Amino acid sequence: MTDIDAMLALIARETARILADKGEAVAPVTADTAFLDGPLPFDSLDLATLIVALEGVTGKDPFRQGFRQFTTAGELAALYAAG
Amino acid sequence: MSRTVIVTGGSRGLGLAVARALLDGGYRVATCSRQPGDELPALLAAYPDTLFWHQATIGDAESTHAFIEAAVQRFGVPWALINNAGIAREGILATLPLVEVDHLIQTNLTGAIQVARAVLRHMLTRPGGGRIINISSIIGQRGYTGLAAYAATKAGLDGLTRALAREVGRRQITINSIAPGYLDTEMSGTLSGGQREQIVRRTPMGRLGTAADVVPSILFLLGDGARFITGQTLTIDGGITC
Repeated sequence: MTDIDAMLALIARETARILADKGEAVAPVTADTAFLDGPLPFDSLDLATLIVALEGVTGKDPFRQGFRQFTTAGELAALYAAG
Repeated sequence: MSRTVIVTGGSRGLGLAVARALLDGGYRVATCSRQPGDELPALLAAYPDTLFWHQATIGDAESTHAFIEAAVQRFGVPWALINNAGIAREGILATLPLVEVDHLIQTNLTGAIQVARAVLRHMLTRPGGGRIINISSIIGQRGYTGLAAYAATKAGLDGLTRALAREVGRRQITINSIAPGYLDTEMSGTLSGGQREQIVRRTPMGRLGTAADVVPSILFLLGDGARFITGQTLTIDGGITC
């Protein structure tokens, strides 16, 4: 399993937890899954919660020096894998 | 298990009174200040299991982060934050040193935003809602000669309250401001005798406020009865702004 695959699995797990806390059905997350305006019942606050949760697990914050563009789970995983 | 409240600037004045009332009410309190001051040590001795103090300089991002993390380590994710720490600097803006202006903004506004951000990062990852109360001031609403920069920071806090209330409301986290009037605390110690007399004369209740006038409203906003109140500024000033 590559770093990106491991990160993607973590993103899927944390996303499922956030959706469960909201009472939403857990949706599958793949590398191509867009967080906003996609199939996930996710909003910007959920996305912020995900970023905070990921930092809690990995100790990494790819956005410390400023915002970096990403749309999909795969792109987000790559940011953590690169950091 | 009792709820935890973070109170910034809890070594004196309103912050100390809030911390004391919360402890008496069964809350756990994590507070910070630059120095423990004269009265906090006795409170720490009286509540060794439910009061936590950490040295911190509000406005310094690293110091703030260290305080919040230490508080979470001690008591877990807090139920609420009282953004109380603040300073006052008086002077006609045209001659108020820029270093003083920067210090005011950094402590009263940037510092409050940093603390709110650090606390929200914990609140968001835990279901169950929460409370943030920003201590602003009627000076931010009405202004006062010699307090332009201070007024700007307090008005900024009210803006923070309204915007943040919209941002996190769907997580059942409420954000409100308490805007005290002129309180008889150390911070009002710089008022001249004439200024105090003028304020008292213009206050329908006929006196300066005290911390005890403000604390009950803070306790109310922390409670379950205030769960649907958010984005508001509650003015407690004896009627001087009415």
